[in-house]
Amino acid sequence: MNDLLVLHTLRCIGFAGCPRIADAVGLAESDVESELIDLAVAGLVTHSPGEFGGWGLTDAGRVADAERITGELESAGARPALTSAFDGFMVLNPELLDLCTAWQLRSVDGVMIANDHRDRAYDARVLARFAEFHERALVVCHKLSAALPRFDRYRIRLAEALKRADAGELGRVADDIGSYHAVWAELHEDLLATLGIPR
Amino acid sequence: MRWIRPLSAQVDETAEVVGGKAHGLLVLRRLGLPVPPGFVITTEACRAFLRDGRFPDGLDDELAAAMAALNAPAVSVRSGASVSMPGMMNTILNLDRDVDHAVATVFSSWNTPRAQTYRELHDIPHDLGTAVIVQAMVFGNLDEHSGTGVAFSRDPNTGANTPFGEVLFGHRGDAVVSGGALTEPLSHLDREPLVHNGLLDALRHIEGHYLDACYVEFTFEAGELWLLQVRPGRFVGAAAVRVATDLADEGVIDRREALLRVSPQHLRHVRTPRMVADHVLARGLGACPGVTSGRVATTTDSAVRMSVDGPVVLVRPETSPHDMRGLAAATGIVITARGGPASHAAVVARAMGKPAVVGIADLVVGAGEMSVGGHTVDEGTLVTIDGTSGEVALGRQRVVTTAADGHLRRLLEWADDVSGDRTERDEAERLSAAHSVLRKN
Repeated sequence: MNDLLVLHTLRCIGFAGCPRIADAVGLAESDVESELIDLAVAGLVTHSPGEFGGWGLTDAGRVADAERITGELESAGARPALTSAFDGFMVLNPELLDLCTAWQLRSVDGVMIANDHRDRAYDARVLARFAEFHERALVVCHKLSAALPRFDRYRIRLAEALKRADAGELGRVADDIGSYHAVWAELHEDLLATLGIPR
Repeated sequence: MRWIRPLSAQVDETAEVVGGKAHGLLVLRRLGLPVPPGFVITTEACRAFLRDGRFPDGLDDELAAAMAALNAPAVSVRSGASVSMPGMMNTILNLDRDVDHAVATVFSSWNTPRAQTYRELHDIPHDLGTAVIVQAMVFGNLDEHSGTGVAFSRDPNTGANTPFGEVLFGHRGDAVVSGGALTEPLSHLDREPLVHNGLLDALRHIEGHYLDACYVEFTFEAGELWLLQVRPGRFVGAAAVRVATDLADEGVIDRREALLRVSPQHLRHVRTPRMVADHVLARGLGACPGVTSGRVATTTDSAVRMSVDGPVVLVRPETSPHDMRGLAAATGIVITARGGPASHAAVVARAMGKPAVVGIADLVVGAGEMSVGGHTVDEGTLVTIDGTSGEVALGRQRVVTTAADGHLRRLLEWADDVSGDRTERDEAERLSAAHSVLRKN
């Protein structure tokens, strides 16, 4: 079971190193590395070197992931519930992107400038909107994990990102790996992959 | 009528009552310029609708009467609040029946969560409501003498006193505003001399009214010009500086007003590098400012591979988490066909501080090539992108950061005259000092 979790997480986050995969899956790094090695032996994942390298799926890995993740969806009879939750996600998606944009840029005298985060009151206002948004995102998250429990990981990661952002880690909103925006984008990719919807 | 005003020269209402868009249309009517016939439903009617969940008493009858008087086969139904909330509310084009329902839809779009968030972030009160404009449709797609476009009375990139804009023959207005499509430079409108001259004349009249550069959206139907929207130019950066100094030199405004027209924030933008290209390959929306040149890569894999040999511009129809490597490897970033400045790609580009252009509607990314505006560009071709103007050009293009230098120097001399302070200081400080003196008097 863990092998599918690791394979599918990698499918959704793209090329990544072991620590990042472990964080996304919610398993110990050593366990993830062991799974990756088995998956590599089976020809489903590969490790490329270099500055932009990391673990990634092979073509065979993508095919295997699509088959197994569809199998999981259908055997759980979860397609209708997941489809309905996805509709809810897509309503929220433009709003989340608006919020990320407001976090990065702000309009001063009609000029869009980079938010330098020196105006604490402005940042607090955006974060307050994030908190309000998150309440509605949780409704979708609960529907997702009711349909397929593995989706609960996204609820945990989104909440973690927001908690850290509120505690002053500004990159956790839209900029860093593990930011609210990054986790949201991975959730988006997971929903498309799981439901077999092409981009 | 209690809830409805005709779009006629005799109506004199504030933007609070009829919304900013209709207020502009009333200005055009008073200037004797061509505006499609129609009427506006007031913000007060919207507030009553949002409060009670139904049209206020009398609106049904007024709407029926106004529609009968308009007697148009098809209408457009557009939102227009007293403050600008671009793209946040609904517009319904080419409607031939059930105007009541369309008006209710536009009213309700005031309260979508997106619109609420936008207001929170921009300090806009939640209780204003939006006006709704109903006008006879004009068809830019009617025949070969029809089309649509947008025009500035002066160049919004440089501030130069030359009309600037885009025209799209044979299309309706929504095709231009949604970004991209196969637009041509405004000068190509001389193919329709009556429309062209009418438009240039209108721009001069409107400048005379606002005493400022202006922006219009227009459509021409069978050789007849119609103006659909107008507002002052709201130029930024070097363009704002140049327009203010030019207007003072032309005697349109005085120097004190010129100083007040430029925000110290604009001066921080004067130094943003901008591309100067004779021929623009494609125009989208700037999503992250800055200029960069690089070779076109159409996949994340080729971006990573090609980045070893030099700068790469990643071109994607849209981006997913899989493109993060490519985004990281590209020096200058992304041109995406789909998605606006709030798209995933734009958010990522800004997080990485890389110039980005988004929303080029007719950009098609194929295997090893991209095609746009009838041109096919192979992977590996050198292009330059400007993340402020949203322009893409072939080859390495000239970059300027000092387009307004002469104008800026003069404006700052005027600022020092006002403040009486000639010590060595930051440009924004010199302007701010003049502003505080002017605002005190």
